[in-house]
Amino acid sequence: MSATRFQTIKKSDPLFIQYLWGESQSGARPVPIETFNLGLPEETVTFEFLTRDQISKVNFLTFLSHFIKLNSFTLVLMPLFFVLTKNFVNDRYNDPFSIILAALSMILLYAGLNIRNDVVDHLSGFDRVNIAFYPKPILKGWITAKTASRISWTLMTGSFLISLPIFILQNELIRVVTGVILLIIMSQLVSKNSYKNTLLGEMTLFLLLGPALVAGYQVSMGAGIDTEVLSFGVLWGTASVFLIHINNFSHLVTSAQARIKNSMTNMGFDNAKKFIIFWWFLLLGMWIGFHWFFMPLLNTLLSTLILIGFSVPFLIQLKKIKSPLGSELRHLRKESVKIFVMIAFIFFVENLLSIGTKLNWTY
Amino acid sequence: MDYKIYSAQDFPAYLPKLNLLYDELFSGGKGFRSYLVGLVSEPLQVDPQVQNLLGQTIEFIHNASLLHDDLVDRSHLRRGKKAAWLKYTPEYAVLAGDYLLARVMVNLSNHGNIRLVQYTSEIISDLLEGEWLQDSLVGDFFVKIEQLDRVHFLKTASLFKWCLRAPFIALNKYEAELHQILNELGSILGQLFQRSDDLLDFNIRNHEGKAILGDLKSGYLNSFGAFMTSEMNKAEINQFIKSQTLEVMKAIFSSDSANAETIFQKKVAAFDAINSNLIELYHHHLVTLESMLVGPEKKLIKNLSPLTEILYWRRKPQA
Repeated sequence: MSATRFQTIKKSDPLFIQYLWGESQSGARPVPIETFNLGLPEETVTFEFLTRDQISKVNFLTFLSHFIKLNSFTLVLMPLFFVLTKNFVNDRYNDPFSIILAALSMILLYAGLNIRNDVVDHLSGFDRVNIAFYPKPILKGWITAKTASRISWTLMTGSFLISLPIFILQNELIRVVTGVILLIIMSQLVSKNSYKNTLLGEMTLFLLLGPALVAGYQVSMGAGIDTEVLSFGVLWGTASVFLIHINNFSHLVTSAQARIKNSMTNMGFDNAKKFIIFWWFLLLGMWIGFHWFFMPLLNTLLSTLILIGFSVPFLIQLKKIKSPLGSELRHLRKESVKIFVMIAFIFFVENLLSIGTKLNWTY
Repeated sequence: MDYKIYSAQDFPAYLPKLNLLYDELFSGGKGFRSYLVGLVSEPLQVDPQVQNLLGQTIEFIHNASLLHDDLVDRSHLRRGKKAAWLKYTPEYAVLAGDYLLARVMVNLSNHGNIRLVQYTSEIISDLLEGEWLQDSLVGDFFVKIEQLDRVHFLKTASLFKWCLRAPFIALNKYEAELHQILNELGSILGQLFQRSDDLLDFNIRNHEGKAILGDLKSGYLNSFGAFMTSEMNKAEINQFIKSQTLEVMKAIFSSDSANAETIFQKKVAAFDAINSNLIELYHHHLVTLESMLVGPEKKLIKNLSPLTEILYWRRKPQA
């Protein structure tokens, strides 16, 4: 091993940002291994220079799933399926061409944003100081931040180009998208790290993954925004933020030490646990409310019972947690994902049933 | 470097049992931390009285943490003798620890360097945070080594960082860049010391005859334990937890004892390889530190360079 395998660089050094982007003159890949004084002018990072042979090998599918966060696509695909089903059932399929374009555009945009999120978290330091629960492609040296950034811009540009015809066909969408862009810009300006790490960031993600997302789909379809779609958006946004709170809770110690601000670090370990319970019951309340108003009574009863059943191991797990660093956090994450997947699955089945009922009526 | 760390005259004789307790506590210690303070202070030509104050400070903090630690862990032995909380009372052990920390603040504030007082207070806070977090992990046998590292950064490494930085602060040398490097060096030394100490629990380089599987039996999975269990399934981890002897523990790897030993040694070698990377990183930081030192200060590099041999490999440095 050569003596120049490591290099420690201050933030003020021009090489600092160059290395963070993954570029070096030697051709070896600089990977940050130590970060001190995150977010301060005296921030210092030690890089390890890895040759191609030293970078751990990974198959393409594993790489892709971690790179674009494949398992989180439910967050954007389920609302799409809901909006499609609802409009199909209500005979409001005014513009199928636009919705296909919107779906494609959203998939590309979401993949691009996920990669962008990793790039931002890598540059800001969030990923460099927190303990990762799954492999981070940039930190593993599988890809440079520069290449990842280029891919994310390409995907987002592709998404924009695909969506252009929708703006012409459904010009109402311009208002929704303008609102979303303003939200993102505002959050980026206010937050110091990445937009998911401040209180405002959590609110923004709620709007982006909830009401704004379904409103965008709905408008792309040529159908007007209605109470049911917006209510679904609020429910879905609340469920998405539930996962974000769990994620932030599992990084509580490292985030607090790195002075990262979010609801969990603001509240601290004990209050954060209570807040998660509150958030879960809020979500459950919204679930019951939504089903009460928009679904048959049987669906309301059955689905609520299923969710209550799934929430028992989750709440037991949450109660069992006595350390902000221990292995129980991994189990809590698993339980919360199970609940979320169950929410998505129930919606999926309910939508399938609606489609089936509609087809039986028609044919 | 022969510092006067503890003297009965420094503490009020009218307090029952206090000096007896301290006599026993300070008599068995190796004083490695004050030795480290000396290794840094001498090349910097720190005034001998200040050196003594620094050496005493770090040993007081360390011993206070031991008094509290033994009670928290319910450890029966300390340095081969009955732990203070058992021999006297838990109340006396807590108060004796608190009193040492109070003396640290009295002594340092008398010295008058407010930055030193502030930094020392921060280190004591870190130490306590580490203790608190470690206690919250007792009984968690599925914890990951990265999570344990966070505890060790606070609990063990903070004192090593102090040993490296305090002599510079005592000389009113506050350059942020310099302290950054010293911090990193201290963190690595603390981490290496802790990991090596954790290996003793599995009878690796256990020249001092430390009790085998002591951490595991007290419900604490240490860093080498976490390293080994990271590749085990749940059933194997359960068997690992219940192990009362090393032989039973090694039998998890293979029913054939020779094969089990080979696999175990391979795991030790893999753990050593990870820590060799840390050692390499330590030497990288020493090169950076050297560029910040002038004249006789450069001797500091010579003093710090062999520490990884002593702290991790537990052997005398080669000439």
